[in-house]
Order: sequence, then C-alpha cells, then structure tokens
Amino acid sequence: MSRTNLVTVAILTLLAVGGVAIPAPAAGTIDTVTLPNPDSPIIAVRLLFKTGSIHDPEGKEGLAAITGLMVGEAGTQKRSYSELIDALYPMASSIEIETDREVTVISGEVHREKLAEYTVLLTEAVLEPAFSESDFSRNKEQALAYLTTTLRATNDELLGLEAIQQVIFDGHPYQHSPAGTVEALKSITLEDVKNFYRHHYTQANLMLGVAGGYPQGYVESLEKTLGSLPEGEPGELAELPEPATVEGRQFTLIDKETDSVGIHIGYALPINRSDPDYYPLMVANSYLGEHRTFHGRLMQQLRGHRGLNYGDYSYIEYWHLPPFTMNPTPNVPRRQQYFSVWVRPVVPATAHFALRDALFEVDRLATRGLTQEEFELARDFLVNYSKLWGQTLPNRLAWYMDSRYYGMPYYIDEIDKRLKKLTVDEVNAAVKKYIRTDDYHAVLVTNNAGEVKAYLEGDQPSPMKYNTPPDKPVLDADVTIQKIKVEPDTISIVPVAEMFQK
Amino acid sequence: MFIQPRILTIALCLAGALVVMPAAADDIFPHKVHQTTLDNGLKVVVVPYDSPGTVAYYVVVRTGSRDEVEPGHSGFAHFFEHMMFRGTERYSTNAYNDVIKKMGADTNAYTTDDRTVYHMVGPAAELEVMMDLESDRFINLDYNEEDFRREALAVLGEYNKNISNPFLPMYERMRELAFQKHTYSHTTMGFLADIKAMPDYYDYSLSFFDRFYRPENIVVLVVGDVEPEKAFGMAKNYYGGWEKGYQQPKIATEPPQTETKEAHIDWVAPIRPHIMAGYRVPAFSAATVDTATLDLISQLLFSESAPLYQKLVVDEQWMDYVSGSYSDHRDPYLFMIYGRIKSEDLVDDVQAAIGKAIADLQANPVDPEKLERIKSHLRYSFALSLDSPNAISGTVTNYLSLTGDPLTVNEVYAQYQKVTPADIQRIAKEVFKPTNYTVVTLSYAEPKEGEAEATAEGR
Repeated sequence: MSRTNLVTVAILTLLAVGGVAIPAPAAGTIDTVTLPNPDSPIIAVRLLFKTGSIHDPEGKEGLAAITGLMVGEAGTQKRSYSELIDALYPMASSIEIETDREVTVISGEVHREKLAEYTVLLTEAVLEPAFSESDFSRNKEQALAYLTTTLRATNDELLGLEAIQQVIFDGHPYQHSPAGTVEALKSITLEDVKNFYRHHYTQANLMLGVAGGYPQGYVESLEKTLGSLPEGEPGELAELPEPATVEGRQFTLIDKETDSVGIHIGYALPINRSDPDYYPLMVANSYLGEHRTFHGRLMQQLRGHRGLNYGDYSYIEYWHLPPFTMNPTPNVPRRQQYFSVWVRPVVPATAHFALRDALFEVDRLATRGLTQEEFELARDFLVNYSKLWGQTLPNRLAWYMDSRYYGMPYYIDEIDKRLKKLTVDEVNAAVKKYIRTDDYHAVLVTNNAGEVKAYLEGDQPSPMKYNTPPDKPVLDADVTIQKIKVEPDTISIVPVAEMFQK
Repeated sequence: MFIQPRILTIALCLAGALVVMPAAADDIFPHKVHQTTLDNGLKVVVVPYDSPGTVAYYVVVRTGSRDEVEPGHSGFAHFFEHMMFRGTERYSTNAYNDVIKKMGADTNAYTTDDRTVYHMVGPAAELEVMMDLESDRFINLDYNEEDFRREALAVLGEYNKNISNPFLPMYERMRELAFQKHTYSHTTMGFLADIKAMPDYYDYSLSFFDRFYRPENIVVLVVGDVEPEKAFGMAKNYYGGWEKGYQQPKIATEPPQTETKEAHIDWVAPIRPHIMAGYRVPAFSAATVDTATLDLISQLLFSESAPLYQKLVVDEQWMDYVSGSYSDHRDPYLFMIYGRIKSEDLVDDVQAAIGKAIADLQANPVDPEKLERIKSHLRYSFALSLDSPNAISGTVTNYLSLTGDPLTVNEVYAQYQKVTPADIQRIAKEVFKPTNYTVVTLSYAEPKEGEAEATAEGR
C-alpha cells in the first residue's frame, strides 16, 4: 500500500525549488492521502473515484451521478437504505455523495468514539450496494426533480450557471450537467448502473483520503477492506478533447417567466491551477471580481456605484454552487477550465446596460491591466485569504487530494509560494494572453427573450435612468458604457422547457 | 447530492467584572469561555481555540426584523446591515475594503428575525486592525442620502435574485397569515412595497442607527488564536468611548391563534406542488424542557431516520424533499414544515400522512430507546459541528442573540437529556392542534389569456 504523509510532503515542497508534485502510488495499490491530527476528536474519510459525468455513455447522460447515488444514498446487500440511515443516525454521521464532471466523491465525518461502527457502514455502502428497484426509482426521481423543478422553475441563478457551462463546452464531455438530461435519465436502467459500477468503482480509480484523530493501523485496515474492489486498469486519466474555440459573440437567451435577468459571460481557458500562468491570472481575476467580496471592480462598479443588483463576480475556474458558498469548494477538480463573469439578476430595464458594464470592466482589465498598487493589494489579499479555505479538516484533506489529482504540490501552499514571487508585469502578461471581449459566449436568463434579442441586435445606446444619480466620474463613464457596441454574432432563444431535455 | 430547495433568510454580568467559565465536565460546549462587560454595557466574549494564526471576529447586534415595529419599515434591519458597509470619516467604503483586502479577511454580514451579525475571519495578527475597523463603523458610521438611496437598489436586487424561488412568496404568505400583531408577520427581507419605498427613508435610517446600534444591545465575540486579556484590553480601548443609548422597541404580543388558516398560490411556470405549514410554538427558553422537547419532536418526525420522513421520501416517494423544525426565536414563532411533492394528486396524501404521524405522537408515548438515539444524535452532531473558529462563532452567536449568554448552549443540551416520553406527548398535544395551524400550498396554474401579467405581479 502506498501512502504519503502530506504534512511531511507539504514541508518538503516548501523547501524544494519549483515545488514537487505529490507523489503518485505504485501500480496495483490504493492511492492514499493521510492527514493525521491526533488531537482532533473528528475523523474525515473521503473516497474520490476518478469517474464523473464525462464517463456517461451517449444517450445515458446522468448515469455516473445515478450510480453514485445508488452507492451513497441507497441500501446495501446487508441492510435497506432506511436501516442504513437508522444505523448512522445516533452517531450523527452521514455518507455524502457528489458526482461532478470528472470525479465522484463519497465522504463523511465521524467522532472517533464511533469510527469503527461508521467504517463498517461506509465500506458496506461502497463495496456491497444493493441496487434495489426502490432506491433506483427514488434516486432517478431526485435527478429529474433537480432538472425539471430546481433548475427550470425555482432557481434562475443555478439555471444560468449551468447553462453557461453547456454552451462553452458544447460537443465536449463536459457539456451536460452531471444530473444528465430528462430523456437520458428515463432510458437509464438498473442494469446500466450495475455495469457502470463494475467498470468504474475500482482500486485503480480510487484515491482514498483520511484525516484527523484516527488510531494507528486504521488506514491500513481501511485500505485492506477496500482492496476487495476490482483492481481495474491502472492508467492515466481519461483523455479529454479540447473545447471548441468560440468565435465572435454567441448569445443564448433562456426564455422563461421571470421578473429579472441573470447574465453570464464566458469562454474556455487553456490552463488550470497546475499551470504556472494560472497564478498571475488568479491575481487579475481577484482584482476584477473575487467571489462574494466587496472589493472586486465588477462588484464596486455594478453594485456599489450603480445599485444594479446584489453581486457581480468573475472566475477562472469552475466554482461549485456559487449562490450558496463563500469560499471555493474542494474535490470538484476539472482539468479543463473556463473564464466567466456572473452578473446576478438585474431588473429587465437595466439588463442591456448591465451587460455592457460587465463587458466594459473585462475590456478595461484586458487593455489596461493592473497598476503596481492594485497588483500588490490583490496579491496580498489572496495570499492571506486562501489560507482560510482549509479551515476545516475535511476541506484540508480534500485540497490535498485535489492537488494530487492535478499532479501538483499542495494548492494552498502553491498559491502562497507562487504569488509571493509574482510581478505586476507577469500578471499583465497573463491578462493580455487570456482576457478578452471579442470572442465569448453569453447566457441571459430572461422573460420576453424576443424583445431582448431585438435590442441586442439593434445595439442602440442603453442609457441608465437613476433615481439617485451616482457621482460624476461614474456618470461620465456611463456615457461610454451605454454606447458600447456588443455586436452579437448569433442570438439563439431556448425556451426553458427545452433546457436539459435531451 | 442535488442541492435542495432552500428556505430564505434566510447580559447580566456586572460592569467591568471579568468572568471566566471553565468548561465543566458535563457541559456540552468543550471550550473555555471568557467574558467581560465594559462600563457602557458592551459585552465582549472570547473563546480561545486551536486555530494557529486565525481568528473569527463577530459583532452580534440583538436587533433583527423582529424590531421593525413601525408600519411601512419592514426589511429595515436587513437594509441597515447593508448601510454598515458605507463607510466613516476615517475609513471610507474604499478605504475599509482596502484594509480588508490587505489582510485577506473573509467578511460579510447577515440578518435574521432576531439579530444582525457582522462577521470576519482573518489573520490573528490583525485582531487589533479588526477591532479598529469594526468599532469605528459602529461608533462613527457616516453616509449621505445618495449612498443610502443607491444601497436601497442593491436590496431590491437581493430580493430579485430570490424571487424565482417559490418558497419566498410562500414564506411571505405564511407569516402574514400566522401573525397579525407581532412583527414576525413579515420576512427579514421585508414586504416588497416597503423595499421599494426604502430610498425615501434616509432620516428614519439615522434614527434606526441611533436607537439600536448602541453598546448595551451588542456583543463582540472573538474565537480562535487569541489571548483573552489582550482582546479585552483592545476592546476597552476601541469600544470604551462609545455612548450608551439603546432604546428597546415595544413589540406587540401576538394573541393566541384561534383557527386554522390556509392559502394557495398559483405559480405561472410548470412546477411540482410545494407545501409549507406552520404551528404556533412558544418562544425559546432554556429554563424548561419545552422548547428542547420541540427540537426532539422535529427529529422524531423529520430527521432522515424518522418513520414519517422514510414514508414520504424513501418508501412511498411522494416527496423529493421534506423538512420540519422548531427554530429558536425570542418570541413565539412557528414550527415550520415544508417540502416538494411529486404530483398534484398526492398533496392530500402528504398532508394526511403528516397529520397521522403527529396524531400518533400525541396518542402514544414514544419508545424511550428512540429518545436516547435522538439525544445521542444531537450530542455527536454538536461535537462534529465545532470544527473551526467560524463554526464555533456561528453556534455561540445563536445563543448570544437569544439570551445574551453564550453558555445558554450548555443549558439547552442539559434540557435535551431531561426530555421524557411524557414531555413529548404533552408538547405534541399543546402545539400540534388545528387552532395553531397555518398552511400555504403552491402549484402550477396555467395563466389564462390576459392574466399573465397580474399573476406575475402577485408573486
């Protein structure tokens, strides 16, 4: 069994010049990451399977997620799902399951007094799923309800955030939501799930993570138990095609009954956090639109000065469930990433202006870059702020596992190390290389899409009418912003009922 | 795995005396709590915790939407939370943001029915900077009418981002029906008409700040890598000069409910039927077992292992989501039940199943072993939840808001241990009766020709 004590690795990486990737295991063994903390009464266990919605067969979109649910939210061969929940209940632990594009993660935390009992239940779920008809219909229903009610009808923000990924990754394995499509879900059979489980839930696909106050011998014993998974084919991660290059300005209007307009802009990025260019871009992005902070340019300009909406942010990698999270969520690694701008819902009368204002800010960054002072402020912020992302034991463990997935040193340390060496010129060079407003996808979640299409095509000025005018410099900037030519190349309208259908 | 629909949100120490409460062997809260009260009434609570280099800094204002007693001003506590980021003479909004940015702190705020909380997590070495920044804006907030009017638009934007969630109109209707006198009749967001009128209430906002943002009404909480004495010294230095002046609002008492109240909302887009129900319950108290018993009842009915939950979600699969709970409030509030139903024809079955589970609870004493399992769940759940300065602060904040005393948490968990099957039956009979009941349902209704606009406005 191959294991690396990452506390030691983290220290070593700080000493090494250029950093070293967290070592991968020898063939035929379970890849295990441990983070011991003998003083903690809590133990976190995470099983990351390198299988996600990119492995869904064509026409069976959603299969990876349903299989995950049939492992993590279903009965075992020894007990029904109700009995499993009952057994977990007194220890207040659970078996969590999350399937993303590339990985499926099964995880839980338990008090050390209950570790042995919990481990029996967790491994039983992973190794001996029952695949019952009743669990199958329930889990399929959950996925269908998510697509048809949560996304289509009750949360415009999640709808837009999923839709922008679909257009950026059109024709790519990342295109469909891990929840699948309505038609594909209906065609998935229990036999499909069993086959998928057999092929993908293997030792070769598994990365095991254990952290906290676990006793000596615990990890070895857990590895031994999980050794009954099929060995699987050791090898590289599934190859991914390059996302299609977007040419011009491609607009998608999702037409639905709603009182506001959500705006999303984005395009694929050729780098992820294992690339040196990611770090200077991270600083520029933080300056432009750090998630849920008040100091990004987008937030200050759109919300702070103009009161257009509740929030405005930008991203250089996938952010999991942004409406509900303040800090980035680990364990959703994706080797291919995208740049995006998220303008939270605005009232329809200001949507055209808000779109222009967001484009103006991206273009301003692209053409002018950051000053030395802006660079220093954004860099210093990130160096400290990123240290808060691993405050809890499960999160720290998950960041370590992600770092191994990307084949890089511990991400949080890497941010510290790389940012401290950066110069403003390097940041501005990365901006020049990756930030643009000529070629992008945009998604608007809106009512009356026909009217929106008409004004986007007309490209006429969209002056703001303020009840309380902002300061003069803001009004002066508005004169330019309201006239920006958006020049959409294509504008397609998709009725919301067609979203996630097939 | 898939994200579930969410409901929206949404001091008795002697002046100057320093109190250290060691964690007693049978107390649930495992950390030492240090507290002091400054001469001006500001309480300061410090909980050292092993989080090298990191502290959480919370300022808890014991004012929430519950305190919005003047008609036409619902949503003001939350709006004021926004205004607190609009700067002072020393630190303009930009200067404040720059300092936060420089230290890399994670900072924000939230408002509930009973409290407004300003929170920050950042480097322990910057604690004094945090004290300086936060005390400055609480004592010297300074904004002009233009800033005020602009911020009102951001609040409207916040309302708009939530409006596609059907729980928002259901929640609004539920409160309007369940409360006629008490301010719990509106959500923390406030009535839409009041939100739209906010820009015109600049003067009112100044009076709001003057009456509620006073030291006697506020607790400063520091958790993490901190020495209590040092923190107390800093607090005295930065907050000591703040003048008293809190004016307690007169909040109307809600008379007892006398009949079932019902409403239905038509939704313009295709959607699964939703249900939200509320039973009037007493205000939070750690002095008796009553509200602790309601927490246990919520587990008996709606935890994942509860037979009712199992029936609705796992076995019959009539709902893809259901939840029910008592939530701690300073005044009598509601035991809320809400969920999403697979199809229209099952709405009655769902209501009947919930009714039957409640009737069983009233008629038959619960198995004592079942109660022990719940008590075990609550204890382990608590232990697992205390895993960061932020998480500890969140828990402590709830009790600071309710009673002003962080150690109320120990009393609550002691009450859990005392709850008997007879208590469950007694409280179930007192609370779950038709005269205490309000229910709101929502389902898809195809808009008739020419009515689409009216329906959209209706939500």
